[in-house]
Amino acid sequence: MVFPHSPGELGAEPTPDEQVREFADRVARPTTADRDRARRWDPALFAELAGARTGPGLAGPLVPRHLGGGGLSAVRTCALLQGLGEGARDPGLALATAVHAVLATVPLRVFGTARQQQRYLPRMASGQWRGALSLHQTQGAALAPAVTVRSAADGRVLNGELELVAGAPEAHHFLIVADELGGGGRTAFVVDRATAGVRVTQTRPEAMRTCSWGRLTLDDCHVPDDAVLGTPRGAATEVEPLLAALNWVFCSAPWLGVMRALTRDAVDHAREHRLFGRPLSHAQSARLTLADMATRCELAAVLLHRAAEQFDSGGRPSQRDAASARLFTARAARTVIEGAAGLAPAGVLTGGDGLIERAHRDALFLATAGGGDEVLRPVIAASELELG
Amino acid sequence: MNVQRHGTDAAPSFPGIAGRAADTDAAARIPAQNWKEITDSGYLRLFHPRKIGGTGADGPAQVAAMEALARACPSTYWSATVSALLCANLISTYGDHDTHARLLDGLLSGRLLAAFAVVETSAGSDAGTYRTTVRRAGPSGGGGFVVNGEKSRITNAPDADLAVTLARREKGPGDDGPDWCLAFVDLRQPGVHRYEIPRMGLRGMPWGGLVLTDVQVAETDVVPVPLDELSEGMTWGWLLVSVAAVAIAESALAASVRHARDRVSFGRPLAHMEGVQAQIAESRAQIDAARLLARRAAVERAAGRSARTLIAMLKIYATEMAVEVTARAVQIHGAGGVTEGHEVARLYRDAQMNVIGAFASNRLREQVAEAMGLGPAVYRAFDWLRPSGLGQDPVGLGGLSQQAEAA
Ligand SMILES: Cc1cc2nc3c(=O)[nH]c(=O)nc-3n(C[C@H](O)[C@H](O)[C@H](O)COP(=O)(O)OP(=O)(O)OC[C@H]3O[C@@H](n4cnc5c(N)ncnc54)[C@H](O)[C@@H]3O)c2cc1C
Repeated sequence: MVFPHSPGELGAEPTPDEQVREFADRVARPTTADRDRARRWDPALFAELAGARTGPGLAGPLVPRHLGGGGLSAVRTCALLQGLGEGARDPGLALATAVHAVLATVPLRVFGTARQQQRYLPRMASGQWRGALSLHQTQGAALAPAVTVRSAADGRVLNGELELVAGAPEAHHFLIVADELGGGGRTAFVVDRATAGVRVTQTRPEAMRTCSWGRLTLDDCHVPDDAVLGTPRGAATEVEPLLAALNWVFCSAPWLGVMRALTRDAVDHAREHRLFGRPLSHAQSARLTLADMATRCELAAVLLHRAAEQFDSGGRPSQRDAASARLFTARAARTVIEGAAGLAPAGVLTGGDGLIERAHRDALFLATAGGGDEVLRPVIAASELELG
Repeated sequence: MNVQRHGTDAAPSFPGIAGRAADTDAAARIPAQNWKEITDSGYLRLFHPRKIGGTGADGPAQVAAMEALARACPSTYWSATVSALLCANLISTYGDHDTHARLLDGLLSGRLLAAFAVVETSAGSDAGTYRTTVRRAGPSGGGGFVVNGEKSRITNAPDADLAVTLARREKGPGDDGPDWCLAFVDLRQPGVHRYEIPRMGLRGMPWGGLVLTDVQVAETDVVPVPLDELSEGMTWGWLLVSVAAVAIAESALAASVRHARDRVSFGRPLAHMEGVQAQIAESRAQIDAARLLARRAAVERAAGRSARTLIAMLKIYATEMAVEVTARAVQIHGAGGVTEGHEVARLYRDAQMNVIGAFASNRLREQVAEAMGLGPAVYRAFDWLRPSGLGQDPVGLGGLSQQAEAA
């Protein structure tokens, strides 16, 4: 298919997503199926993707240039993640990248003190330090609080346990939102892994296996006051809404690439595969399904593009539009995966590089982690109904 | 443009036309006041460059204005936009700016109304079934041509002054030009018979048939056109219908939101119920997806790119989406929504029309599939199932002998 991904990006030069797609196709895709089967995180692969000079600089596109990052726009970053999804055909790797490069990075860029920014962002942008967080903490306080914080003479003390921490096993530091004991409110922290009382246990969720996962336990973990990110007790208006919107937009972006890859594969399958004595591509219902798959890709693309663009515009990005982009993309992914499965030669589970199976499994994760329908729909409806 | 604007980014609005939308539907007639307001607003000139009397709005501004008029009254929008956008574009593309300036002036000033007469009483999807012809008039015809045939299910047919008519050319010896032409046919002359077709939705819009019997047309008003080239022009029609669908869905959502906030059930407004919120949220995301795709398509087209496949995708999605969204709106309104004369009942009826008008969805899906590299549609008679062993019921557990007994 030859549709430009967004107006103005046409031209002889390969677009950023095309460059990343080619790179990921070369360095990641050959091992994707194996890594998925073995649930293996590959640090060398991440280092290659992170490398700004040798690779596409996926570790720090949103870190400003003077702090060693790519200084790219949100729209471009979205395009990079899309290209990564399409080239690597690996939703887990793309999620790991998005969590580090966007979810763990942007709150520091937006709310970090100069000291915090100088300490963390250059090393995050180079890939030397990995930042991690729990995807449960990317949907505001929708879930029951898992971490509490109280004051002590030497600063603050954190206690609790967080599941679904993407990148935990390799993380250098964690972005954590904690419930304030006494007085209420929630505060965001950046907590170094080396802090006493921090314990990481590797976990093995069924989906997104090529990402590395862990449980983060905080046991009377003393942190200094300058570990606070943003305003104390201000997470509900600062870090929390930002994390949600970042997740909904940037963790969805790789799926646009996955959907395009599935659609392209399905076109090839339909051409090669015969059913009732003729090419499947002659069967009208197969053709109609393929047209719908391609259409879903374009629709998800415009919603993601709008939501990403709002991060660049200087104003406040719309939470509603971020939620709409996720709601639609998660649905579209399932539609495309079903279509692809129906058109796969001799059914799924019998060959190929396993993209349909991976995507099928991981799309359920996309549709739930960090806010499923029950979170996204009220967010969208609240803005329509002026309630909430 | 001197229509009302709110802020810099907001679309123009047509409050007078919106206020008459229910009456327009009930009376099956677009009021004269609507035409006056559309003309005064500058809407009819938006789509064209200054050299032919337009105001040359950019792609997004065109789409915003189209959506605004379609929000106000889908029937009025269809009628005005088929004439001023679709037909005027065809005339300015295929006609001659000097010879046809009078037609373009008429359409852009609102003095003339045009129809795009393609489909006949046979299968609309299949151009091969069209029979209307243009041939040279006899010696008494003054060097002109005559048109014969019947066009059916045509927007504006009952009221139009002029029809941009697709017809087969009766070719003389040595004429190796295209088999088809567009004829700019003056409908205010003998030999033109019109009829209305009663319908489910878009009832305010004039819609019906044209029976043309030896209708005269000047040689300069007959433009030979290859059929495949014409489909480029029809892409405007798909965009037009897509915007209608987006607007209808948006109106239905707006009505749903109002109702959800006002209607009290079990002691609280419906808006507090998650089931209703879910419906509203789904509609919002779907409408936005279609609208953004429409804007993108308009930008591409304004930049001189065809965006044909993108617009085909848009037409498929937007029109079917609007059916879904209006169905939800009817449901949110309870019995009110299925009451004759209710806004959402009207929108629900209108939404269905867009799925068929200007190429039905599945026909467009075929075109998208072709653009994806799947080759042209391949027709095969449905006689291949039985030989595959799947075309008959299997024998039961009792085996063939029991089967014979039962028989
Ligand atoms: C509101 C409205 C306004 C209209 N305005 C105009 C106008 O201004 N000018 C004009 O010329 N016409 C107009 N039409 C007619 C319209 O273009 C036709 O109705 C339309 O092209 C479909 O033709 P049909 O109704 O004969 O359906 P058919 O062609 O009989 O098709 C019936 C069904 O079969 C499917 N189908 C047919 N062929 C294929 C195929 N090859 N592949 C897949 N599916 C297929 C179609 O999708 C459709 O669902 C209008 C129609 C409507 C509803």
